Amino acid sequence: MSVTTAPPAAEPIPVRGKGLEPRTGGWFVRIAVLVIVVIWMIPTAGVLITSFRPEALVDTTGWWTALAHPFETSQWTLENYRLALDTGGFASAFLNSLAVAIPATVIPIAIAAFAAYAFSWMEFRGRYLMFIAVVGLLVVPLQMALIPILRLYNEGAIVANYYVFPDLDLNGTFLGVWLAHTAFGLPLAIYLLRNYIGSLPSSIIESARIDGADHFTIFWRLIIPLSVPALAAFAIFQFLWVWNDLLVAYVFLGGSRETRVLTLALQGLVGREGENWHLLTAAAFISMALPLLVFFSLQKYFVRGLTAGAVKG
Amino acid sequence: MTTGSELQPSGEGTVEQPPVTRAPAIGVFLLRVLGAVAIPIVAFFLLWVTFDFLRDEDANRLLVVGVAIFVGVAGVFFLYWGMNRAIELLPERYREGVRPYVFVGPALVILSVFMIYPVINTILISFKDSVGEDFVGLDNFEFVFTDRYMLRAIRNTAGWIILVPLAAVSIGLAFATLADRLGRGESIAKSLIFLPMAISFAGASATWTLIYAFRPEEFGSNIGLLNGIMIGLGQNPVPWLQQQPWNNLLLMVIMVWMQTGFAMVVLSAAIKSIPDEILEAARIDGASELQVFRRIIVPTILPTIVVVTTYMVINALKVFDIVFVIGSPEANGTVVIAERMIDWFFISNHDGRAAAIAVVLFVAIVPVMIWNIRRFREEEAIR
Amino acid sequence: MAERVRGDGMRKFRMLALTAVIVMIAAACQAEEGGDGDGDGGTEQSENKGTVNVLSALSAEEGEALQAIIDDMITPEVDYTVEIEASEQFEEQFQIRADSGTLDLILLPQPGAIPEKAEAGSAVSLEDMGFDMDELASTFGEYYLSLGEVDGAHYGFPTNANYKSMVWYAKDDFEAAGYEIPTTWDQLIALSDQMVSDGNTPWCVGFESGTATGWPATDWMEEIMLKTAGLETYQQWARHEIPFNDPAVVAAGEMFGEIMFTEGYVLGGAENTTALPFGDAPLPMFNKPADCYLHHQATFISAFFPEGTEAGVDYDWFPFPEIDTADTLMAGELAVAFDNRQEIVDFLERFSAEDVQCAMAGDPGLGRLSPNVNVGEDCYANPILGEASGILADALTNGTAGFDAGDQMPAQVGSGSFWTGMVEYMQQGPDSLETVLADIDASWPES
Repeated sequence: MSVTTAPPAAEPIPVRGKGLEPRTGGWFVRIAVLVIVVIWMIPTAGVLITSFRPEALVDTTGWWTALAHPFETSQWTLENYRLALDTGGFASAFLNSLAVAIPATVIPIAIAAFAAYAFSWMEFRGRYLMFIAVVGLLVVPLQMALIPILRLYNEGAIVANYYVFPDLDLNGTFLGVWLAHTAFGLPLAIYLLRNYIGSLPSSIIESARIDGADHFTIFWRLIIPLSVPALAAFAIFQFLWVWNDLLVAYVFLGGSRETRVLTLALQGLVGREGENWHLLTAAAFISMALPLLVFFSLQKYFVRGLTAGAVKG
Repeated sequence: MTTGSELQPSGEGTVEQPPVTRAPAIGVFLLRVLGAVAIPIVAFFLLWVTFDFLRDEDANRLLVVGVAIFVGVAGVFFLYWGMNRAIELLPERYREGVRPYVFVGPALVILSVFMIYPVINTILISFKDSVGEDFVGLDNFEFVFTDRYMLRAIRNTAGWIILVPLAAVSIGLAFATLADRLGRGESIAKSLIFLPMAISFAGASATWTLIYAFRPEEFGSNIGLLNGIMIGLGQNPVPWLQQQPWNNLLLMVIMVWMQTGFAMVVLSAAIKSIPDEILEAARIDGASELQVFRRIIVPTILPTIVVVTTYMVINALKVFDIVFVIGSPEANGTVVIAERMIDWFFISNHDGRAAAIAVVLFVAIVPVMIWNIRRFREEEAIR
Repeated sequence: MAERVRGDGMRKFRMLALTAVIVMIAAACQAEEGGDGDGDGGTEQSENKGTVNVLSALSAEEGEALQAIIDDMITPEVDYTVEIEASEQFEEQFQIRADSGTLDLILLPQPGAIPEKAEAGSAVSLEDMGFDMDELASTFGEYYLSLGEVDGAHYGFPTNANYKSMVWYAKDDFEAAGYEIPTTWDQLIALSDQMVSDGNTPWCVGFESGTATGWPATDWMEEIMLKTAGLETYQQWARHEIPFNDPAVVAAGEMFGEIMFTEGYVLGGAENTTALPFGDAPLPMFNKPADCYLHHQATFISAFFPEGTEAGVDYDWFPFPEIDTADTLMAGELAVAFDNRQEIVDFLERFSAEDVQCAMAGDPGLGRLSPNVNVGEDCYANPILGEASGILADALTNGTAGFDAGDQMPAQVGSGSFWTGMVEYMQQGPDSLETVLADIDASWPES
């Protein structure tokens, strides 16, 4: 890595030992970060404030007016959250969402990691063609796939009197939803993971091969630990997408009280004409809680040095 | 190449090369196919049997969910492991020839059934009539390139795929770089940018109604922030989402707000993977922070920038819900390609036209794919 | 050498196993011939599956109210259960499930969607299900049944109705100002003019409705069209037997424009109406003093009125004034079956019976009218609904009711270009009418 020699930076370069925190920026960095964060937070703040305001106020005054008298207790309420949590079958819907989201996150990661490794470090015929097909599939709008898949689930596919896809009555099962979500998540997963895994230094893989390790061992012992940040990043996206998805779960699992997922249950609150603003905002925050928890718990994997440490270890 | 052909031929001391190598070649091919399809099929049947059982038993819901999670998660890992053991049983010369197909096979099988088959189906329907029965030649494509809303949609979409990725990736990259140097508070700052990604779509549309909402004067005070500001400045409220063509930009802002978190997280992960020593060395050499950014950070994570941009372009190409929810897109001039597709498919109910629009989407992505493949090759050439 | 032998043995074993697996899969996968019957659209009834799934565009609250009545009055007496699904993604779900064969029954607000499903063979006709059509005609009136008619067979079973020819007004201010309820178009215009000259604004109008923006404007067009051209021409318009830009339609559009574009008639002006949520539109009637006096909308709108306002005190309604005829504009839902099963037939019979319909009418959570003309006014939860139901029942029996024309049209017009056209008309002003109507006409799908 060559760096052109430049006039010495104005600020003195602090000398620090390895393993210390990354050096922090000056005021410019702090202010710039703060500005972006504040801009990004304004819309969310609107929802948050609205979710704690009584219905009558939500419909008649702007949410920012609440900030004028923040200590006036009459303008705050927890009623919206109570109503949203009281939705019929909330617990069942939450459970359904979990049962859909966890496997639908892990399965595509597992499948994609193997494929991404193969695309990155294995030689085989049709490699480019297969990879380009996968990237191309990113653009397929899943709406176009729903009806063909639903037909497969219900009737199977018969070619010349043989089932090429058996009639398994998958509609309305968790398995049916997982498979659909896995398929819709795979192109991005493979694409992201291939980019990451492919950019790992070839030296470590070559030295492992010299040591006699086969591909499976390299993958399992070396690549997976090294790819934790990328795996965590994709896990977050896939979990979010599945958790917030409405269409796929509705189509393949159904909209009845026992089968519906959280997004569907909460959407009922909104009303077709969207009149229940106060409930909608509360519902939005309730359904955000778990994905944010996932984000926070996985964020520890995005730390500098993790990769380097693993390489040395 | 580490395929079987390179390894020692299997003949029992014979010298006749051709027949000997051909036989294993067929065997290898069959094993590859088997390896590729075995995991998904076995996994699928195991899962299906489990669930059929659970369905019949009418078991406790908590139990069903628990088993579902366990079988779904553990099942997949177990199957790859099992397949690998199976490969170990193969004669050594086959192993490395079959293994790649075991690795990519499951992904390809699932994608073929759930995506490639629907794509082929869509392409066929694009040449058919409104109910997808009789062939109508190129009529649907003629519609796609002559209908005034479609032409508008193509123009608007061009704006979306340029501006949204540009804004989201630049802000995401800038923020990831800045936050990386924040030290304490980095995690919170990143979480706050990421927050919009966690919002469900219904939540996001509520969020932005609270910004853009419009009520003429006598209809009560405005609940949208922008009009609240206008009134505060003594102006009349403005129906923002009807201000052509600027309403397109206002809708793009929503997508940028939602998607920058994605760019930021992925780019941040890439920045974190740049070894500390390289950055430190540059700084000790006297490089300014801007130089470190331009000469080290950006070139190092360029592949990731390409990936993120590609994904953003594709997402912008597929955008429909943002446009759809907020008012009549045709009359307000905010139509986009994917929104037209959904409209023709589900609302206006002409499967042929919807499919033809989808085909336009497939074709539109070709340049991006070529760009990616070129980069893919370059990357492999230098390592 | 031992290694080699083992390898070869292994390979033979694998090949054998492979063949065995392929044979087994092929055997297991052989499709059963015959007995695979389509299930849909056939004339023979299939067996009881134990559940009737009903997809509807109801709101969640309405869906739950309906489910409660069904669970209470129907479920105990039959050997199946009924699941009402109140869907926010109604249009999408309808297309997906009808096309993939996973739909039992749908409560469809757009009879215009029926022909396609009937021709595709996925919908089942009432005749095939064994209904006595004469009996149904005496319950719902000939006209309502005819909306679901395709090639002589009937597919739509009326399940509820809405009354649309209503003008709501701010009663207290209206009476204080000494205004009188108009009964003709000329009186309506005279009243509006008088309000303007008194320094008031007559109309509150809002057409914004998310994805469906523009629909309240189509109600205006339909109201005027029905009352100027008469039911026969109105039906020809709805079925595209006359062009969408027929002189009769242009005339109706001009009268609508007279209300919308006359200076001072519409609060906020016509071009803002397309950005104003229809639920917010009536609110200024309740300002003190009222900022507008009149609002045209169907029965349901009272749910959007501010809390604490009272019918007969703060607001009231009068029927939309007569123009050339006094025909009544209505809308409603038709049940369409996508599978022919005895429990679906049984459910429809029980559901439309007077006792269940009366119970639904009395549920304040539903607020809809019964299409069954035998359901009495006293069944209803409030006098406004009761009165509206009386007018509607008379119109249905006398054949003077006209069903929402947009909902009778194919979806790409009725839920597409008609809405868009009305929004463009509002935004571009009176001169755009001819172009807008011609555009809508051009968008009509070739049959």
